[in-house]
Amino acid sequence: MRFWLVRLASVAVVLVGCFLLQQWAAASLTPYLQSLVFLAGGYVALAVSLNLINGITGQFSIGHAAFYMIGAYTTAFLTATFFKAQPLDSTAWVVLMVVAGSVVAGIAGLVVGLPSLRLRGDYLAIVTLGFGEIIRIVVQNVKALGGSFGIDCRVEPAPPSIMLMWLLAILTIAICRNLLKSAHGLPFLAVREDEIASSAMGVQVTKVKVTAFVVGSMLAGAAGAIYAPFQVFITPLNFDMYQSFIVLTMVVMGGTGSVTGSAIAGLLLYLLPEYLRLMKQPGTSKAISIGGPAVAAGLVGVIVLVWLLRVVQAKVVGSKWQRWAGNLGALAATALLVYLGSLALHGVPFLRSRNYTMAELRMAIFALVLIALMLLRPAGIMGHHEFSWDGIGKRLRRRTSGAKA
Amino acid sequence: MGLGLTLLPLAAFDPATLPGQLVYGILIGSIYALVALGYTMVYGILKLINFAHGEVFMLGAYVALFISWALGYTPEEMQRAPMPSSLMVLGLMLVGSMVVCGLVGVLIEFMAYRPMRNQPRISALITAIGVSLLLQYGGALFLPVSPPPVIREEANPVQGSLRVWIQKPPEPLLGQYTEAEREFEQAKDAHKNEQYKIRTNGTTEEKLAALSDKLAAARTRYSDLERQIQPKSIRLILPHGLLVMAGTSLVLMLFLRWLVMKTKIGRGMRAVSQDFDSAALMGVNVNTVVFTTFLIGSALAGAGAMMYALFQGLTISTFFGVAPGLKGFVAAVVGGIGNIPGAVLGGLIMGVAEALVIWSGLDMFKDAFGFVILIIVLLILPKGLLGSNKVEKV
Amino acid sequence: MSENATPVLRLKEATIKFGGLIAVNCVSFDLMKGDLFGLIGPNGAGKTTCFNLVTGLYPPTSGSIEFMGRDISGMASAKIAKLGICRTFQNIRLFKALSAVENVMVAAYLRHRTGLGSGLGLLPSAIRETKELRRQALELLDVVGLSDVAEERSGDLAYGRQRRLEIARAMATQPELLLLDEPAAGMNPNEKVDLQQTVRRIRDDFDKTVLLIEHDMRFVMGLCERIVVLDHGEEIAQGPPDAIRNDPKVIEAYLGAAV
Repeated sequence: MRFWLVRLASVAVVLVGCFLLQQWAAASLTPYLQSLVFLAGGYVALAVSLNLINGITGQFSIGHAAFYMIGAYTTAFLTATFFKAQPLDSTAWVVLMVVAGSVVAGIAGLVVGLPSLRLRGDYLAIVTLGFGEIIRIVVQNVKALGGSFGIDCRVEPAPPSIMLMWLLAILTIAICRNLLKSAHGLPFLAVREDEIASSAMGVQVTKVKVTAFVVGSMLAGAAGAIYAPFQVFITPLNFDMYQSFIVLTMVVMGGTGSVTGSAIAGLLLYLLPEYLRLMKQPGTSKAISIGGPAVAAGLVGVIVLVWLLRVVQAKVVGSKWQRWAGNLGALAATALLVYLGSLALHGVPFLRSRNYTMAELRMAIFALVLIALMLLRPAGIMGHHEFSWDGIGKRLRRRTSGAKA
Repeated sequence: MGLGLTLLPLAAFDPATLPGQLVYGILIGSIYALVALGYTMVYGILKLINFAHGEVFMLGAYVALFISWALGYTPEEMQRAPMPSSLMVLGLMLVGSMVVCGLVGVLIEFMAYRPMRNQPRISALITAIGVSLLLQYGGALFLPVSPPPVIREEANPVQGSLRVWIQKPPEPLLGQYTEAEREFEQAKDAHKNEQYKIRTNGTTEEKLAALSDKLAAARTRYSDLERQIQPKSIRLILPHGLLVMAGTSLVLMLFLRWLVMKTKIGRGMRAVSQDFDSAALMGVNVNTVVFTTFLIGSALAGAGAMMYALFQGLTISTFFGVAPGLKGFVAAVVGGIGNIPGAVLGGLIMGVAEALVIWSGLDMFKDAFGFVILIIVLLILPKGLLGSNKVEKV
Repeated sequence: MSENATPVLRLKEATIKFGGLIAVNCVSFDLMKGDLFGLIGPNGAGKTTCFNLVTGLYPPTSGSIEFMGRDISGMASAKIAKLGICRTFQNIRLFKALSAVENVMVAAYLRHRTGLGSGLGLLPSAIRETKELRRQALELLDVVGLSDVAEERSGDLAYGRQRRLEIARAMATQPELLLLDEPAAGMNPNEKVDLQQTVRRIRDDFDKTVLLIEHDMRFVMGLCERIVVLDHGEEIAQGPPDAIRNDPKVIEAYLGAAV
């Protein structure tokens, strides 16, 4: 009985919280900032749902944007065709679309998952990527779906998209955490660790993999279904393979297998670049831009920094402080190098004349983040750990009692 | 498109253009084979899909472009006065591309892949994706977009094409056509040679104008007869450039075969691709083998890129390598990843498949069909056509 | 040992060929309920391959494998596990990132009753079942003496403990027949004696039938009640330890022909 009270209370809290978020955002934020809050929730949902497939079940799906796209386009098509002619109001319609979008995306997950799952890891990755591209190209060439031009999927009056997307994000996190907290998550982890041993212990490996794919793709499809009406007009360009790579980076950075890691990384990797993009030059309203020589020196500098940090990681085996000293030293050395380098590069005319805004640098920085992550901390921010209240409690107790755990 | 005016299918499934398309497919397939070799060798040895291989290809095209500019074939110069090309120019571009690409490939391996050797495969794959993205977007920051990055036609020493009649047009049309063609070629050469003299001030405006007019007249007569024989004949037009491209690729592939089969380093490559750890234990210097593999694989890609860009007059951008890279990868898988003859076979198949896609009028899918073929092959023939060498022991 | 009782495991001329190599050639033997059966032979004799046949990793090329009277030749591994056969691995295949107790819980999960939905929603039934599976797992860890490392990452455990953990894990599926592949490999003599006792206890207290592969002769002779010997994929002897010990064919297989 107590269980149900607590459960209902937490659901109520979440609902109210998201509702308030929606109200606040709609009232006090500019449309651009509203879309920021909206998409942040979207990326959290996408990253956590991908983590279910990649991190928890250990599969290599790198075309996740395809399911997002399928959910969005299903919604867009149905909305463009039927919305005006039917009685439901916006919110109810979007909820219906979420169901429709996730079902269609789930079927796609089945179609991709079933035959591919007997492929070896890296081949599965390429197939999932290919599937995404094929979907995109098919949509681009089908007139009924708007082709490369796109579809207008307006829903009037505007539904509470921010609330819905964040509800979905939280639902996604909840589903994954519940899975991991119960014994039902164990077969997924086992499949990730060792398929042969898993099946020897009675785990139906293919069923587990397909389930992961289907649940992951349904959640991504649901996100797409909420995205389409918010975006009002979608085109295939919103869903290219680089979207998949961005979501993948979020999962990797968060630590494959860590639900909270994926969520946090999702937020960070989406919001930070946007923030950088918005940064203005002091005193002006122009976006910050960096000169060519600095960019070139900076790119090389990051690579040098990564290598220096690796050297520190490998060679400095002393205490934590020694390692941090080493890292800071590496950072300082690199900063110096970058500074000197950019001065030197001022002599190169074609570099000197170019100025880059953050928007232009975004993908290159992403790529560098990805490489740096893999070289320095492939386990991601959280590694295989999860954020948990118990975990914090344990750590506090360890500190206060002074004993080594 | 480098195919000459008559090979673009005027209608889909036009049987007259099929032979031409098929030959084009085989010729272009030689490039995909070169790219596929790079993928297959690296995968055979490191079990890594070198996602960045397409970008190394792209760099090869840029290097060829820069060399052509350095040799004087820039748009400004060519507007002023064209310059003849020579095999030397071709050779310089080829060697330059191969050397630079080889070095870049080795650098990438050393900096990004070597640290990943003991990590799970997905980590290495993600790193490779990162390198690929970095080269594409980082390159876009610095590589020139104007003047339009196309290797000038003038830099190509093997212009012109070979014509093969499959079904000759009736006389007297054939005779008229052949004559008009000959006159046109002569007028073209005369005009061009006169243009070359501009640099040395060995000609005048009047002389050029006169030859220009002659050329225009010859061209009119020629295209008129072109139009007439078009529905009455079937022929293959093979640009000399594409033939040279295929020939060079063949030579490179034979060199690779010699290397892998008959040299010590090649034996090392074969050993490592069969069993990494055992080869290392048997005294094979694994790092040297990996180095050589990347060096050669990337150099081949560079050669392929240079020829692909030059002989087809394609515009180069930092995304230039995405489609050929994909097709090369699929070719490697189709042939059996890790299998060198398989990569060559796969390349030819991909080339022909592309030609057929174009021929059937579906050329919007020119780049996507690669994925379709890949998925089909992986599901039906997971080991590719010629098989690969994978065994897992429990 | 009644001749009319159904054998727990019956191999009937089981054969498997890998291309030209005949790894297991017409091997036949029966295991009755409660047997402590040893499968021995020189390296490469096909012992692990027999295990792989029984547990469904490969289907036999010819011949059959029956479990409790039911033909399981070529059945999927997971299904065979559900029917009641479970194994440990020669090369230790633990779920390294998971803790010891989680490893055992994976296997215990085979006998779960709640649906995936209740897991996704973390309903009381799922919570209860998770607690129950955990309790079962901890109990089994206790049997093999690993209670103190229950929460440790299994990949970090010492080798001997990992082997014991594998046994506990296999036990968690509540099998009728337990296959142990070189369970004593890498253990010191004391650990081996403990292991012998553990295996005997598994047979006696848990009512299991045990088939094990081992290289250590003393271990096998001191534990198993019947032994079958394989050499080059063929069965060369079968019987109680004393008979095997003195069998000239067996001696020859291990030591070479007598001069």
